[in-house]
Amino acid sequence: MYNVIQLLIKYGAHILFVVLEFICFTLIINNNDAQKDIFINSSSILTGKIEEQRSNLIEYNNLKNLNDSLLRENATLIENLITIDYSNDNIPPGDSILSQYSLIPSKIINSTINLRNNYYTLNTGSRQGVKPDMGVVSSHTGLIGIVRNVSENFAHVISILNRQTKISCAIKNRVGHGTLVWDDMDPLRMTLGSIPKHEKIAIGDTIITSGYSTIFPRGILVGTIESYTVPPGSNSFAITVKLFNDLTSIKYGYVIQNRYAEEQSKLEKEVISE
Amino acid sequence: MNKYIFPNIIRIIVIFLVQVLIFKQMTFTVDNTIFVHFLIYPLAILLFPVKTPRIILMITGFIMGLGLDLFYDSVGIHAATLVFTAYIRNIVIAFIEPFDKYNVIDVPTIRNLGIGWFVSYLSILLFIHILVYFSIEAFSFVYFFEIFINTIFSFIVSFIIIMLSQLIFRPKF
Repeated sequence: MYNVIQLLIKYGAHILFVVLEFICFTLIINNNDAQKDIFINSSSILTGKIEEQRSNLIEYNNLKNLNDSLLRENATLIENLITIDYSNDNIPPGDSILSQYSLIPSKIINSTINLRNNYYTLNTGSRQGVKPDMGVVSSHTGLIGIVRNVSENFAHVISILNRQTKISCAIKNRVGHGTLVWDDMDPLRMTLGSIPKHEKIAIGDTIITSGYSTIFPRGILVGTIESYTVPPGSNSFAITVKLFNDLTSIKYGYVIQNRYAEEQSKLEKEVISE
Repeated sequence: MNKYIFPNIIRIIVIFLVQVLIFKQMTFTVDNTIFVHFLIYPLAILLFPVKTPRIILMITGFIMGLGLDLFYDSVGIHAATLVFTAYIRNIVIAFIEPFDKYNVIDVPTIRNLGIGWFVSYLSILLFIHILVYFSIEAFSFVYFFEIFINTIFSFIVSFIIIMLSQLIFRPKF
């Protein structure tokens, strides 16, 4: 107590000064509009800076969550696009078709691109509903590959940049369909064969999946025609297709789940075995 | 010491009334940019005896400032300024102490300490007071130029008025 009194005697004037000025400034800020505005603005500049830094930090931490939610959103949008493409094909819109395809967003956790046969590994597996022979696309534009094996949490995907790849494709707004293969080592180009040479095609035409399989639905954009030739002695074009997506820098993919794939392939097998 | 209390209270009241009744009306502007205020009321704090404790000066300044603010419609600005002036008054007095020291009972007037001393005392404190007043009024150093111009013009007119009053009335206490 003695010390406190000593302190007050020694610094009482200074303390009183601070107290009185504090009272005055409180009065000024609360009662004068001009000063109040300046005070609020200046303090909001300061607090705004701090808030901004904080949100930057939190945003960075939230990037992963944000990414996941965007992937899910994309999956829904692509599902809708596929459905719309179907309805444009004059197939009567039934509930069964509308809900035929659903997409599983996946992250590509391992990939090869420089080999003759390339593969991807996805971080989704049988637990998420991935099964062998499902197609994988990078978005509405661009194929990635076909699921070959699945484990509980991972899926092994044959890249379209693979000698085994044979994907049924068509040219948008034209008749006929062919097979897409990868036969030169360019990761940006593939070759579309077995389009009969009497068909009319032009450079710049868009290649889409034909949908003549259970793997990819019709209408996924693959690439554009860069050049075409008719090999001597052949009855069909050899079309060089420039892919829309760059498979060397791909990070995410969507596994296409076809609800009626089993039913369809079972039926087809019955026909073959007869 | 008690004989100083009564004259000081009277002087505070008189200066207060002169400030709000006469000099408040004389505020004018030049070119709508320079605001010239006649601020003579710091004299009330300045004429307290030399050895008056700071606490008394500050409380007096606070109350008087609040009273002025009621008339000037600027709650807290005059009070803050006058408290600040009261706070630094004794520092300035110590800073410009004459060779022959102050007497305990000295009142800082022309009669007691000479016109040279009084001019430096008044000009330092009045200039600081007016500078602080305009700074608080603007409330932002963005307006540094305006603050400085207003301060200089107001300082000149206030200084002339106070010096004239001191030379005419020559207060004893």
